Amino acid sequence: MPRRPTRRRRMLNPQPLTFSPFARSVAQIASIHVDRCQTHKSKDQKGSPLNSKDKGIWKHTLEGKNDLSESSEEEGSGGVVQADFVFFDPKLDDFHGVKILLQTYLDDTQWDLSGFVDLILAQTTVGTVVKIEGDDDNTPFSIVTALNLRRYKDHKCIKELKEFLLKVCLEKDVIKDLRLFMGEQANDVGLLVSQRVVNLPPQLLPPLYDALFDEVSWATEDEPTEELRNFFCFKCYLLVSKIYKHKNANQKNKRNLKRRSASDSGDEIVYIKPEDEIFHKLSLWSFSFPMQTQQVETQELKNYRLMGLVMAVEAAKIPTFRQELQSLIVET
Amino acid sequence: MATRLMFENSCEVGVFSKLTNAFCLVAIGGSESFYSTFEAELADVIPVVKTSIGGNRIIGRLCVGNKNGLLLPHTTTDQELQHLRNSLPDQVVVQRIEERLSALGNCIACNDHVALAHTDLDRETEEIIADVLGVEVFRQTIAGNILVGSYCSFSNRGGLVHPHTSIEDLDELSTLLQVPLVAGTVNRGSEVIGAGLTVNDWTAFCGSDTTATELSVIESVFKLREAQPNAVVDEMRKSLIDSYV
Repeated sequence: MPRRPTRRRRMLNPQPLTFSPFARSVAQIASIHVDRCQTHKSKDQKGSPLNSKDKGIWKHTLEGKNDLSESSEEEGSGGVVQADFVFFDPKLDDFHGVKILLQTYLDDTQWDLSGFVDLILAQTTVGTVVKIEGDDDNTPFSIVTALNLRRYKDHKCIKELKEFLLKVCLEKDVIKDLRLFMGEQANDVGLLVSQRVVNLPPQLLPPLYDALFDEVSWATEDEPTEELRNFFCFKCYLLVSKIYKHKNANQKNKRNLKRRSASDSGDEIVYIKPEDEIFHKLSLWSFSFPMQTQQVETQELKNYRLMGLVMAVEAAKIPTFRQELQSLIVET
Repeated sequence: MATRLMFENSCEVGVFSKLTNAFCLVAIGGSESFYSTFEAELADVIPVVKTSIGGNRIIGRLCVGNKNGLLLPHTTTDQELQHLRNSLPDQVVVQRIEERLSALGNCIACNDHVALAHTDLDRETEEIIADVLGVEVFRQTIAGNILVGSYCSFSNRGGLVHPHTSIEDLDELSTLLQVPLVAGTVNRGSEVIGAGLTVNDWTAFCGSDTTATELSVIESVFKLREAQPNAVVDEMRKSLIDSYV
């Protein structure tokens, strides 16, 4: 059999996307100063997202200028990479990609992750999947959605999720609130799922979250039945996320402060996702729990421990969140 | 019978295990339920050995073996090599080979009689495979992919290959391997058959995402429904019992 040229990067299932040469270039561009980049957002908004399979609402172009390629040449990279990110409604075809993104959602517990991904993808009215335009592999780079806890309360994955959260919550005051959230108040609680590849450009975050919260408010008006409309009238959002906490966070004596050298002058908590910091600040209550999954060992993070963070944010605080996210991303 | 299971939330069972007619290797560090599923199916018949290769858990993709032998990459440590030599039946020759393409499980697919190899494999490696595993080696590609071990999985009774394999290629491979072949998927549409499935002549293990249709295709092409281990293992029974005791 003659050997046909193979696309070597397609050898395995969509693996962590940072391994492809394309994603590495995107990561390099994203790490270079934002103020040197030109960003462009298309402004035409479609009225109802229900009718569009491909939203194409927010198109984000990340372009490098000439001075960028100078600095990147010193690092020996290929140069400028242009990436058009497109937002899509969740589709059943995205199953494998979204499953990989959510692999460590509940630490290393064995739970019905496939069922959870199916739920997310079945809800086409609220939820966004971010892909690259013209990418044949069609791999999702990010997934954002909000699931009503009562609507799906009979699904195995939601039951297992509730059990897990109740099991890892060690703080007595919070566990009562958590129980209420998942029991009586479940109808008003939305589980906000937001996972992405680590090198996704931060400029995408404001439009991504705007899209989510706009879809939630459109759904309260546009859904065909009253019951479905009510499912999106969230009073509160529940988030499960990850942070790095300083290992010596509990000790506050002077001796410890003296021991901290200049390189160790980090904060108590390092947020993997920048919007988590804003959510945490605005949260009604929150708790953290230790995670068993192996964390990436790097020099900067050697004193930090990977922890899960669960937060409850009132829906009323969302406009504040949107504003703060906007200013945070513009500054960095 | 085909069994569905998961390794730590991953459905890629063929990555963390290696199943042949004479032994089964399982990665360490997984939950006990992963190990016990294999034990439940196989314990009476063939040894189930927990191991790592070069400190890695992806043992299914790093090694290749059949009832005659087991080939390990150069990254295998001496302790692991010794452990495997001690745990496996005597007639299984365990050998560590120096090959640049160290993910042997991805590059080579074999049963007890025939092996398909990556087109860039060294000449010496090809000879060692023929020698140790007692097979005839053919350099092939599957649907244009050179990683034959990843995109197909076959036993002495049948085989499953990449879904995009053309009919002509399917016929050609089937003639080479002398077993019936089917182009299909595993784990709900995944094309990487070798990673999602591990099979021998009487049983198969696949990821829990595998749909009922995929499972029935697997059971029919590998002829697992009527399969009994006795027919295959009888000739090896003596030496197996010796090595347990």
